[in-house]
Amino acid sequence: MAAARRRRRSAKAPVTPTPTPTTRRALYLPLALTLGLLTLSLLPRVQVNLRLAWSFWGASGALLIWQTVLFLRLRGASVGRSLESVLRPQHYVQAMVQVAVFAYWGWYWRPVYDFAVLLAAQLVFAYVFDMLLTWSRREKYVLGFGPFPIIFSINLFLWFRDDWFYLQFLMIAVGFLGKEFVRWHREGRNVHIFNPSAFALGLFSLVLITTGTTHLTWGQDIASTLTLAPLIYLYLFLLGLVVMYFFSITLIAGSAAVVLFVLSALYASLTGVPYFLDSDIPAAVFLGLHLLITDPSTSPRTPPGKLLFGALYGAGVFGLYMILGAAGAPTFYDKLLAVPLLNLSVRGIDSLVQIARESPALARLRIEWAPLTSNLAHMAAWIVFFGAMTAMGKTDGKHTGDSLPFWEQACAHDRANACSRLIQLETTYCGDNSAWACNELGVHFRRGVAVAPDSELARGYLARACEIRFQAACVNLLDPDGLNRSDPRPLDLRLLLREAGQNLMEMSEPGLYARACHHDWAFACSR
Amino acid sequence: MKGGVPLAFLAIVAAVWIALRLSQGPPTELAMDARPPTATGNVEGFRVDAWFLPDEELLGFVEIPAGPFVMGSDASVDPDAFDIERWSSTSAQGIVDLPAFYLARYEVTVAQMSAFLVATAGAIQAQALQTPPDHPAAFVSWPDALAYAGWIDATLRESSATPPQLRALLSDGWRITLPTEAEWEKAARGVDGRLYPWGSEPRQDRANYSSRSAVPVGSYECPECPFGLADMAGNVWEWTRSPDQPYPYDATDDGEGLEAEALWIMRGGSFGDGQSGVRAAMRGRADPGARRAFIGFRLALVR
Repeated sequence: MAAARRRRRSAKAPVTPTPTPTTRRALYLPLALTLGLLTLSLLPRVQVNLRLAWSFWGASGALLIWQTVLFLRLRGASVGRSLESVLRPQHYVQAMVQVAVFAYWGWYWRPVYDFAVLLAAQLVFAYVFDMLLTWSRREKYVLGFGPFPIIFSINLFLWFRDDWFYLQFLMIAVGFLGKEFVRWHREGRNVHIFNPSAFALGLFSLVLITTGTTHLTWGQDIASTLTLAPLIYLYLFLLGLVVMYFFSITLIAGSAAVVLFVLSALYASLTGVPYFLDSDIPAAVFLGLHLLITDPSTSPRTPPGKLLFGALYGAGVFGLYMILGAAGAPTFYDKLLAVPLLNLSVRGIDSLVQIARESPALARLRIEWAPLTSNLAHMAAWIVFFGAMTAMGKTDGKHTGDSLPFWEQACAHDRANACSRLIQLETTYCGDNSAWACNELGVHFRRGVAVAPDSELARGYLARACEIRFQAACVNLLDPDGLNRSDPRPLDLRLLLREAGQNLMEMSEPGLYARACHHDWAFACSR
Repeated sequence: MKGGVPLAFLAIVAAVWIALRLSQGPPTELAMDARPPTATGNVEGFRVDAWFLPDEELLGFVEIPAGPFVMGSDASVDPDAFDIERWSSTSAQGIVDLPAFYLARYEVTVAQMSAFLVATAGAIQAQALQTPPDHPAAFVSWPDALAYAGWIDATLRESSATPPQLRALLSDGWRITLPTEAEWEKAARGVDGRLYPWGSEPRQDRANYSSRSAVPVGSYECPECPFGLADMAGNVWEWTRSPDQPYPYDATDDGEGLEAEALWIMRGGSFGDGQSGVRAAMRGRADPGARRAFIGFRLALVR
């Protein structure tokens, strides 16, 4: 009830109509913003890459052409175009939460801050695109913070690299086109089916997977660098509480998390190895279940519906992670692909809930819905659950899967997926410039034990390790059959032992070796 | 959902799919920056049909006969000698006996490196290909140099363009790689213990040093140089396959010290060095990942 009252208040109070400007004056705004986009293209961050600059110019050019056509079309029209500003809390509160995530994450992974200009450019592009799309179809554009959560949400999960940044603009365009055109009738209203950001992310994820072009994006880096920020789970949890309090999404996020925790625990108890690589719920999934699936207009509105929706998301991510892994595709797409499918299931969930409510059997069981509608009660349960998970070491802190020796042993014992996890971990650390990890990969691909043999790939990894001054790798390069290995060096350990993102660069060597020993590195215990 | 929506949806999917297919680039994990569009054109004295190797009977490989030579520096004779060139605490120099081997007459050129990159669809730091084709290939790391050696070895084994004598050697267990520092030093100073390839006095008309940039390989005539090799002093430093180990030189310890940070020996000095830097016994050390304008390499054919 309280939530319903809040919704009614928020629907009325913040509306601030402005005087309707003439069509010509209305069109000045997208023109000014497009010129702003062109101005952004002159910044050093953009100019450093000509293809990136061309992406900006191409996007600006397309927007200018669209404006010109629209202007000419409307010149003699009887109905003008206008703006109305409406500030909706679900937009600006969510945007503020997302900014808080960027700020904290970027503090520990600087590419996020370097990306700020490109993020701003996407926002400008999104506003202009949204305005032009609206005015091409109807009279009034509602100006508010709507594009902010869409753009931020997209960018919390996927960016294209500079050389292919035009695809980022295309992805935004697809998101808004989906919102405008892919619609259905629900509860008597014509509404968009898909969460706009999730639609664009899901569609592009699908295409990136099928075309094998993930390397065009920062997706893998984004998914794995969230944990560079210390206590990221706690941070996301606290931010999530804000969203939960204002928008009653606790049942969705909470049930998704519970299902994932339970399924992960079940898998681990059956196989002896963690299901997800380095946590019971990957941090990026934890972020997704707070910010990606909680759009009120594309999710169920009843408490049982929300419960089911969240539970399906948890199960969906769990299943997709397995399917993607089995297909050899990057597994970080799991959280993105599940959302559009869930959006499509919303009407089915609504119907199920309706049937359940009218079921005489449930009536006999005297199930009362009313107690389930208190958001504060849901939040209290969620806080207790998260606290319990944290106390059990299932969120921030050391995790079984953080230990490379654990995966080495599990692989040697042929435990489920252990070898592929080992390779995946070593690939990540090699990408972070751990020469030890690169040499290990080279040796694996040369031996062909944990993976199929591939001499070219082996040579590439060994060359990379050698260039980072790992002598065993250099010696391996000289001998086509060389399988030399040596213990990780201090610099490697500073990367390998990060565990939930702690910065170990300043840690003393004795401290580092003590930590390594604690993480099952036997050689370190005697140092 | 409206009737046209599924069609629009499919169109969006198709457009995105096509855009991504069109923009699909090379895997970037192991690539660097630059790819040559095609192999470089004609270079005088080098065979276009043989990956721009020298137009000679053995494609530029020169035989260095078996036998001993004096390695290291005696500071009483060579005032420019560095401590790391001293053989041991009791002896300034050592005698090293090497089996016969072949060393390339010239440093590997930009044209040769371009041919490698074209053939392998490989990539390398952009600056490596920005000098003329007859200049020494620079900006190559130690693994880059080894990769080139491995590629040309495999290519010559398979190609019908390989001269019969070279083919026979390759069939007989010889392989193309980088020289050890002992092989390099012997080829540079011969067996009479001279300080420079041409003798024991510095001569700027014999090698490119104390200058501003590299020059085409073989630009300096050196009739006094042993074995007729070019640019064994100056032009660019040359990677060897010897790790940085203290003297006395012993090739059998190359696989030791795996825990140490890698440093590999390069020889010959470069255009930017003075006379002391281009002495035949001079030992340079560099990170294997170093890519510099003054570091290149030459090939050896060894058994």
